[in-house]
Amino acid sequence: MGDAVFSVFGSSHVLPNKKSLCNTVLWGRFTRQLNKIVPTHRMEGRRDGLLFWLISLIVLSGAWRVVLPLNSAAWWPYVILIFTSVGFQEATRLMFWKLYKRLEVILDAFAEEKFRSRLSWTDKMQIALAGGLGHGVAHAVFFCVSLLTPSFGPATYFVDRCSRIPFFLVSAIISLVFVIIHTFSMIIAFNGYADGRKVDQVVVPVVHILAAVMTLMNLAPGGCSIGVPLLCCVGAITMYYCWQMVWRKLTEHGRRQRNASEIHIS
Amino acid sequence: MADGNPNSNPGVLESLGEEIVRIVAPVSACMLLVVLLVTSLHAGGDGGSAVTSIATIAYSEEASDSFWDKLEGALLNSLVFVVVITVLTFLLVLLFYFRCMRFLKSYMVFSSFVVLGLLGGQIFLFLIARFYVPIDVVTFSLLLLNFSVVGVMAVFLSKVPILVNQGYLVTIGVLVAYWFTLLPEWTTWALLVAMSLYDLAAVLLPGGPLRLLVELAISRDEELPALVYEARPVEQNQPGAGRRLWRERRDTATNSSSNLNGLEAGNPNPQSQEANLVVAEEDAAVSAVTAPLLPPQLERRREEDAEGIGLGSSGAIKLGLGDFIFYSVLVGRAALYDFMTVYACYLAIMAGLAITLLLLAVYRKALPALPVSIALGILFYLLTRYSLEVFMVQCSTNLLMF
Repeated sequence: MGDAVFSVFGSSHVLPNKKSLCNTVLWGRFTRQLNKIVPTHRMEGRRDGLLFWLISLIVLSGAWRVVLPLNSAAWWPYVILIFTSVGFQEATRLMFWKLYKRLEVILDAFAEEKFRSRLSWTDKMQIALAGGLGHGVAHAVFFCVSLLTPSFGPATYFVDRCSRIPFFLVSAIISLVFVIIHTFSMIIAFNGYADGRKVDQVVVPVVHILAAVMTLMNLAPGGCSIGVPLLCCVGAITMYYCWQMVWRKLTEHGRRQRNASEIHIS
Repeated sequence: MADGNPNSNPGVLESLGEEIVRIVAPVSACMLLVVLLVTSLHAGGDGGSAVTSIATIAYSEEASDSFWDKLEGALLNSLVFVVVITVLTFLLVLLFYFRCMRFLKSYMVFSSFVVLGLLGGQIFLFLIARFYVPIDVVTFSLLLLNFSVVGVMAVFLSKVPILVNQGYLVTIGVLVAYWFTLLPEWTTWALLVAMSLYDLAAVLLPGGPLRLLVELAISRDEELPALVYEARPVEQNQPGAGRRLWRERRDTATNSSSNLNGLEAGNPNPQSQEANLVVAEEDAAVSAVTAPLLPPQLERRREEDAEGIGLGSSGAIKLGLGDFIFYSVLVGRAALYDFMTVYACYLAIMAGLAITLLLLAVYRKALPALPVSIALGILFYLLTRYSLEVFMVQCSTNLLMF
């Protein structure tokens, strides 16, 4: 039956030999596998991202170990803690970007070799998304999820300074907002570094510090009722900024492609 | 074409990535089950349950001993264990060399049955006691018998659906790993270090038993006589070439009576020595079960050279069940401390596994899967326990986050 198929093809299409048909079949299988492969690469990026940020957290904690545990009365050690931590994390983000640039060179080379095309801008966005998600999830897991063990029993815990909501709920809300902030900041940052726009590059650390400083408000008694909603606003602003940026890129590329095709036709 | 195709990612790194995912999923499932078992059955705190086995024959740890006593005792224990494992593995190589296939295969069948039946039965009894499951003896023994027999058939017969086979391999790994977490703490850590050193030596040194085993298996073009998890693709609509190769491998597997699990045949003993028997079995199980990480058989590829490394559909990555077991033991031990250590160790082990797979793609020969992951795992456990946790608890309890 295979021969009949080949003969049908042979009559209506130009096929030099059977071998090229085999190559086409293999190619077809490749592209079908690609749909599974792309999410895999994102997952790899996400998992490596998780480990990377875990290592940064460990380095930070190692550096601060000598001073901890702090007494809870004074608030200024916490300020120093926050600022140094955020500064270190932003430096780590830059390092992450440099690593990614090198990886991108390798990936582009492979893509050229195999598919005669480079990584498209959507691919790069997706990789940035995976990296950001890794960052956010790492923080969420280590700040919130790993402390959930006491919540399995019948009662719950409250923090003195925020005595209206259970501790786990507040911690979960804050972690959620930070996941959003980290995920979208990474996309903004990667696009800022790639395009060289200073605005984007500066916005990310500023938002990070702003969000971290808002959690400092939780140190004051009753402060979390102001701090947490403000934090949610910051998260929403980050999301909005990222949306604006992506929309701008989409329209830019759409316009560019239309111009290119118009040139072809005319 | 440059911007239009959203799926224009390169193939080589990605096909490797897909293989990694297929190995990562069962390893993660095994670890998750062990963590669940450990946390639900040790809810009353870690009481240093006395499980007498070969691994504690030299020294049984008390909580009140000094630091040096514990260290010395743990090292002694792990030394004894590694020596026993080495002897058993050499015995295995000898039997494989003299082609005592039927003996090996029936031994493995018997030992798998005992692992599933006795170890599994004991753990199910623990679970029944813990969760007050209303079940009577007759039903329980019937179900257990069925479970064990189906498990043995799933692992050793060829006409079984691949998911059932993989599921039962993971179950065996979970059961053995849970028993290892019952050992005292220092002994467990010393054991992990000793086993990864042994793995390194046995696979890479020219006289190492596992290396001899792999070379014999490759020279005779037979399957390795060990319980090996093969990360074959589970999809049904594979291209014809892939399916042909898969069936071909399965046929050689049945012919050459693969899947060995060398155990010490203990006599059925009264209750007092049951722990001894049961754990002795799993000790010996580990010997042959610690098969090295294998690359896909190079000679099985045909026209799939166009796919680059060819890991896509022709070969599959094989991971020995011993690796599953020791990864899960590490994570189970971490679970006995806190969840934060569990996450950190999980990430570390996965990173180690990815590194090992990358090295596999580069060197293309059998590699030990334990050393890198266990080293990273222990490092991250120590770092998390003594440094990260204090930091995190400080920040979170004050509702500080960044």
